[in-house]
Amino acid sequence: MRVIKVEETEIASWTRTLLAEQRVVAVQERDERFVFDELRQAEDLRLDHDVTLQPPLRYLLPEKEELVAFDMAGRYQPAESDERPFVLLGLHPYDVAAIRQMDAVFAQGVPDPHYSHRRALATMVACDVETPSSNVFAGTMGTAVVREGYDVLLTRIGRDYLVESRTGKGDGLLALFGDDVQEASPVDLRRREAVWQRNRQGLRQHELDCPPDALPRLLALGYNDELWQERSELCLSCGSCNLVCPTCYCFDVQDVVNLDMKSGKRLRLCDSCMLQDFAKVAGGHQFRLRRDRYRHRFYRKGLYMPERFGFVACVGCGRCIDSCVAGVANPVDVYNALLQRHPEAVEEPLEGESVASLGKALEALLGRSAGEVPTPVVVHPQATAVKPRREEPDPWLAMPRQEPATLERELEQLVAKDPYVPERATIVEKRAVTQHETFYRLRLDSGRSLGHQSGQFVQISLMGIGEAPISVSSGPTDEPDFEMVVRRVGNVTEALERLEPGAKVGVRGPYGTSFPMTELRGKDILVVAGGIGIVPVRSAIQEVLRHRSDYGRLTIAYGMRAPQDRLFGAEIAAWLDEPGVNILETVDHLEGLWHGRVGPVTTLLPNCGIEVGRTAALVCGPPVMYRYVLSDLVAMGMLESDIYVSLERKMKCGIGKCGHCQINGTYVCQDGPVFTYAQVRNLPEALQ
Amino acid sequence: MMKPRVAIFDFAGCEGCQLQIVNLEDELLSLLDVVDVVEWREGISEKSPEFDIALVEGAITRPQDVRRLEQIRARAKVLVALGACASHGGVNKLRQRLDLAAAKRIVYGDAASEPFLRSGPVQAIDEVVSVDVRIEGCPIDRQEFKNIMRTLVLGGEPHLPNFPVCVECKRAGNVCRYERGEICLGPVTRGGCGARCPSFGMWCFGCRGSVDEPNIHAARAVMERYGRTVQELEERLALFGSR
Repeated sequence: MRVIKVEETEIASWTRTLLAEQRVVAVQERDERFVFDELRQAEDLRLDHDVTLQPPLRYLLPEKEELVAFDMAGRYQPAESDERPFVLLGLHPYDVAAIRQMDAVFAQGVPDPHYSHRRALATMVACDVETPSSNVFAGTMGTAVVREGYDVLLTRIGRDYLVESRTGKGDGLLALFGDDVQEASPVDLRRREAVWQRNRQGLRQHELDCPPDALPRLLALGYNDELWQERSELCLSCGSCNLVCPTCYCFDVQDVVNLDMKSGKRLRLCDSCMLQDFAKVAGGHQFRLRRDRYRHRFYRKGLYMPERFGFVACVGCGRCIDSCVAGVANPVDVYNALLQRHPEAVEEPLEGESVASLGKALEALLGRSAGEVPTPVVVHPQATAVKPRREEPDPWLAMPRQEPATLERELEQLVAKDPYVPERATIVEKRAVTQHETFYRLRLDSGRSLGHQSGQFVQISLMGIGEAPISVSSGPTDEPDFEMVVRRVGNVTEALERLEPGAKVGVRGPYGTSFPMTELRGKDILVVAGGIGIVPVRSAIQEVLRHRSDYGRLTIAYGMRAPQDRLFGAEIAAWLDEPGVNILETVDHLEGLWHGRVGPVTTLLPNCGIEVGRTAALVCGPPVMYRYVLSDLVAMGMLESDIYVSLERKMKCGIGKCGHCQINGTYVCQDGPVFTYAQVRNLPEALQ
Repeated sequence: MMKPRVAIFDFAGCEGCQLQIVNLEDELLSLLDVVDVVEWREGISEKSPEFDIALVEGAITRPQDVRRLEQIRARAKVLVALGACASHGGVNKLRQRLDLAAAKRIVYGDAASEPFLRSGPVQAIDEVVSVDVRIEGCPIDRQEFKNIMRTLVLGGEPHLPNFPVCVECKRAGNVCRYERGEICLGPVTRGGCGARCPSFGMWCFGCRGSVDEPNIHAARAVMERYGRTVQELEERLALFGSR
C-alpha cells in the first residue's frame, strides 16, 4: 500500500493520461444528477457527486447482455465478448462494498464467467464521499468507509487529494502521476482519518435503531407481522427499488431470433423480484402475492443473504429511497418500524441461542413444535449474534480475498466451460401419454451419459423460444439416453410438442439435489406422487427396482385428478409384478372407467401398510398436495429427516444466480429440488 | 416450411401503426422472407379469402365495422390487435366522454345527421371478437413488432410484458419524472416500449394500457404524496382509453 498527495489539478491531468491508455467509466453529471458513463474528456469527471442514479454494478452486470449465441440447427456457443480492460472511476465506498458482495454472489456454486470476466477486466478507483446524498445511510450500515475491495482510493483533504494504492493494478495507476510525487505525510494521513470519521458519522440521513448484525434475528421474528401487508398496499410493484440497487442482481433470460430466422441470441436482462410475474410459473401459478414480494426484498437484504453469505446485503446508498415514488422502499424505515414491534430482537440472546434462533423463530411462527432436527439453514455466526454497537462494523470484510493470479487461471477454465451454453441433444423417441403430457427420450449428441441422479432436472432449450426446467424421469444409467414426461403448459413445452424424433434441442444439467438413493439402501421406500409428480419419482422407482435386493418394500401411493391423467399405466402393471411392491392409486374425480379409490392421495396413507421406523418417503406433487402429505406423514410418526420432497418453482439460470426459484432464502435449483422435510419445515413460502 | 399468410386491416385510427410497419424499410424485406403478406390496403393491391395471421389496426366505431371485423375473425387463425386503438379503443375513446350527438355536431356540423356518418360506441376489437395477441402502443414499437411476428412465425405464443414502464426507465438510467414535478403514468403502464417518452424528456402517457394488476390505491397515494389530485391522474389515464 502506498499513499501519495497530489493537487486537485493533477487529478485532471492524471485522468487525461488514463483516458489515453484505456477505457474509463467515470462519474459525470447528467440532467442535474450523476451517472456512471464512458468518460470522453477528463473535464467531465466529477468526484463531488452525491450518488449516481444507477449503481456501478451495471458495468459488471449490464442491464442487458448476450449470454449465448445459437442457430436453428441447435448449435449453441458462448456469446462473443470484445470487452477490454477498463477503469471504474469514482466509486463511493458503499458501492465498493456492494461490488465485493456481488463478487461472492457470482462466485458461489457454479461461478458465472460473464460477471467474473468483466470483474477481472475492471480496475476500481474509489473516492471517499465529498457530498452526502439526501438519503444516504452508509454510516449506519458500516459502509461509509472501506479499506478493501478497491485498487485505488482518492480522498479529498482540503485542496489536495490523497491517492492510495491497494493492489498491483493500483500501483500501476499511481505510477501515471510520474516520479516526482509527494508521499503522504503522517499529518496528511491524520487528515484523511478525520474525513473518514466525518463520513462515518455524517452519512446517516437515516439511522437504523439496531446494529445491522441484528437484522436477521429481527426478521426471523417479524415474518408474519401486519407491517408487510400495510406497507405493501402502497407498493406499486414497479421494480424501481431493485433496479437501482447495487446488491440486486436477479435476472431474466430471453431468446431473441435474428431477422434471418436462422440464428439468434439468448439475453439476460436485469429483473426485479417486485414484479408480478417474477415468481409466476408456466401454467400461471403465482408463488408470491404483492405482500410477499414486498416482504421478500427486505428479507433478502436482511436475512437470506446474511444466511447464505454472511453479510447484510444493504450498503446504505439510499438509491431505493430516491427512486420510490410511493415512499415505501426505505429499508431503515421498515426495519425500525419492525423493531418497534419486536424489541426482543436486540435483547441479549440466551447462551448458545444465536445460531438456532432463526429456525426456532420461524418454527414458532409456523405454529409447529420444535423438532429434534436442528435447523438446516447455515447461519453466519456473526449474523445473529448481537454485539455491542460498533463504530464501524465491516460486514463484507469477512470474505476471503482471492489473489489475481489464481483468479485469472480460474477465469480461463471458466470461459472454456460456460455454464449457460447448452449442449446439443436429439429427440430419439416421442409419444403422447395423456391428453396433456408427452413422453420423450433424448440422447446427447456428444454420446456421453447425462450422469444424473434420481430427482435431478435439466434445462431444455428450444432455439428462439427459450428454456424450461424439466425433471429427468428415467433412472440413473450409463446409457446416453434419458427420458422426460412433459406437460404442455408454456411456450417451451408447447414448442417441444411440435418437434418430431430427429429434432435437436439444447440441454443443460443435470442440476440440483437428488433423492439420496445410496443412503436409502436397506430401507423401505414409500413414494407419494400427486399428478405429474409421478414423473421425477419414477426415476427413483426405477433405481429401486434395478437394485431390488438393496431396498426393502416399495410402496407407491399415486393420486391423480382423473383416470385419464394416469401416467405410466403399463409400467405400473409391471412394477406390481416385482417382489415386495405395493401400489395404491386414487383419483380426485370419478370420470370415465375407474374401479379404484376416489379421494385425495392423503386418504391412501393411513392404510398403506408401511412400517414407519424403517421407511423413507419420497414425495412429489403440487403445493396443495405436498403440504397435506408432509404433515400427515409426520403425524404418522415419520421422522422429518426420513421425508424427502421435490419442489417446483420458476427457474431461469439453474445455477443459483437469477433469483427466480427462491423459496425464502433457498434456491430450489441449487439447494433443491429435493429437500428433506426438516429443511422445508422452516420455509414458510413452501408450506403456507 | 410454408410461409404464414398475413393480412393487415384497419379501422378507426390514424394508420400510424401500419406506418411503423412500412417504416421497417429494409427489415420489412427480411420479414417478407418469412411471411407472405396476402392483403394490405396500405401496402399492396391484392386481396385474399383466407390467411393465418390477421393484424387489425384501429377501433370499432360503426355498425358496419362490427360486421367486417367478425368476417376477418372468421377468416383468421390468429387475430392480432395492432396498437392502442385496436387494443383499448385508444384516443377514439375520448369521444365516449361526450354525448354522441354533441360530438358529431362538433366534428361534422350540419352534416352530422347524414346516414353515412352513422356512428356507435367506440370499442376495442376484443369488445367485439376474441383477440389472440395484443401489440401495445401508440404507435406500436417496431422492435416489439418484429419480435412478436418472429414468435408467431416460430409458432410460439407472444408474451405480453407485464412490468411497468418504470422498469425500462430505470434500466435507461433516467431521472424520474416525478422528481421533475410531473405526473407520469409509468408506474402503472405496461412496459415494453423501452420507456421511450421518459427517455426523451416527456412523462409516460399510458398508451400501452395498464399492467395486469395495477395498484390503483397506491397510485392515488402517490398523487397525494406529490401534492397532486386523483382527478389529474384520471384525466391522464383517460387519454388512451385505459381500462
